[in-house]
Amino acid sequence: MFAVSSQHKHWLFSGETELAKHRAEANKAYIEQYRQNKTDEEVAAFFLTPAEERILGRQYEVVLRKFCSEFQPLMPKCVIGTSLAFFKRFYVFNSTMDYHPKDIMLTCVYLACKCEEFYVPIGQFVKNLRGDREKFADAILSFELTLMGKLNYQLTIHNPFRPMEGFMIDLKTRYPDLHNPEKIRKYVEEFLDRSLLSDACLIFSPSQIALAAIKFGAAKESISLDGYIKSVVLKLASEKEAENTLYQLRRVKAIVKSFEPTTREQAQAVQKKLDRCRNQENNPDSEIYKQKAIDKLNAEDDIPVVKRSKMSQDNGS
Amino acid sequence: MDEQGCPRCKTTKYRNPSLKLLVNVCGHSLCESCVDLLFVKGSGVCPECNTSLRRTNFRLQLFEDPFVEKEIDIRRKVLRECFIQTIYHNYYFHFLAVYNLSNHIDVDETKRMIEQYKKENRDQIKKNQSKMSRDEEMLESLIEQEQQESYMRKTMLKQNEQREKAAKRKHKDDLIDDLMFSELSAQAIISSHRESAKQEEEELKAKSAATTFSTGIKIGHQKNVVPMTRTEQGVLFRYFPLVLEWCGPEPPSMDDIYSDGYLKNIRPASDAERAGGFREAIACHRALQEAFSGLFSYPTISPSPVKQPALAASASH
Repeated sequence: MFAVSSQHKHWLFSGETELAKHRAEANKAYIEQYRQNKTDEEVAAFFLTPAEERILGRQYEVVLRKFCSEFQPLMPKCVIGTSLAFFKRFYVFNSTMDYHPKDIMLTCVYLACKCEEFYVPIGQFVKNLRGDREKFADAILSFELTLMGKLNYQLTIHNPFRPMEGFMIDLKTRYPDLHNPEKIRKYVEEFLDRSLLSDACLIFSPSQIALAAIKFGAAKESISLDGYIKSVVLKLASEKEAENTLYQLRRVKAIVKSFEPTTREQAQAVQKKLDRCRNQENNPDSEIYKQKAIDKLNAEDDIPVVKRSKMSQDNGS
Repeated sequence: MDEQGCPRCKTTKYRNPSLKLLVNVCGHSLCESCVDLLFVKGSGVCPECNTSLRRTNFRLQLFEDPFVEKEIDIRRKVLRECFIQTIYHNYYFHFLAVYNLSNHIDVDETKRMIEQYKKENRDQIKKNQSKMSRDEEMLESLIEQEQQESYMRKTMLKQNEQREKAAKRKHKDDLIDDLMFSELSAQAIISSHRESAKQEEEELKAKSAATTFSTGIKIGHQKNVVPMTRTEQGVLFRYFPLVLEWCGPEPPSMDDIYSDGYLKNIRPASDAERAGGFREAIACHRALQEAFSGLFSYPTISPSPVKQPALAASASH
């Protein structure tokens, strides 16, 4: 039930302004932590700006979707939706400089596979990657807990795909004026795919996105579904509710349509800059990270020893 | 460990747990079904060593190694033929015979040796054969003793029961007699009778206590059954229908789905799915619920929490 879900309670934001505010705060927090004695000009040259972070995030969202669509075995759409939602949620409160999106991206997909009951063992999962697969597997598994923690362990994602099917069934049953609803399906799915790359899933409920997609698809076939929405879906709604819903539908359409893909050149320039300013503690290739992992392992080894000695003390006393 | 199996049909204990291996005098094992097949006529040859065998001589293989079986067989035969009760008579001769026969060394020579021995000691052997071995005698006496004991126990139980029944009947008769002829009030008579009955019961109990084993198990059946402890009954369960929060228009109910013809517009469930308890209406219901729930979500109605960053930060530590 979406209405009582954590998605509704914690992960819906009022709009892009609020999202931008949170992202800027994450960016600022990172810079404050690592600027040391740099002047403002040096900071601007060394660290990423919030706008640059957005470019990088969007670029990796495209990469993520491409990775998912080429994934073997073929994954259901809801896994793509869920992994993109995880990715977006993660970078609302975290900076791309702190955690590199290329690691988080793969972890998101891996976690989404589990959440959507499409479990792929890690060995099979990394077969879809080129390069040192063992290293990838280690990185994914080491970031998995971090990712879940940053998502507050709220891992249920309501995707717009099932609501869309629900509206299609409802259209066929309760709106006989529309003769062949299946012909709009192609456009509807196109719209949903585009919506995945925008921030729509952080602002609107999945049913709103789905209804907007249906409306958009019908408009492409030059059919107006205003009659259906007003007299069937919102028949018993109060005036205020109906007005709000219609307003939200318009906003969904505006946000999804206004999405612009980033160019490769832009992204590459940002990525170069990132290589210097990223947090080395979260870079699986860096020396600091390896040292930290070893320390952690040793610390874990120490704990039982401490416990045992404590126990023997208790026994002795 | 290699599997124990029939050498002819290659069935193993692992594949057929009820496999019965039989062995004949030649010491080669065969499974039950192979024996049935090969020895239809009652006699035949061993498929391994071509010794002619009789079906009646097959017996269950007790040891994993068929050689052991064979040896035991020979040992028994030699023992039966000449050494009953004279086993210490000619120790060396006995073992030599067994060893030679079971390892195919000088078979004819050994057989001749046995024959000769038989002839020499004919009288002795005959005498011994008519006697039963001391061991067997002892076993038999043990079994007999046991049988006697169990019979005694049974009769004792029966007697006890009869005695009890007779006592009860007597009590009843006494009571009726007293009621008929005594001057006392009925109440007093009944209460006095009850008391005396109780007393007798207690006496009986004390008697039966003597027949308790040291382990606490009592001989004979027990009269006093432990009463079932009555569990305390809590507050009765009251059913409250589930109230669902939609944050949107009310979706069609399950009844609507059946009555309004929604089912025409979705794929009917296959027979296999129906067998598993799935109905297409379930999927339809879920899709519709998800389509309508959350439609009214609006940022001013449900403002996204500002405390989110703090929450995320606290969860990560």
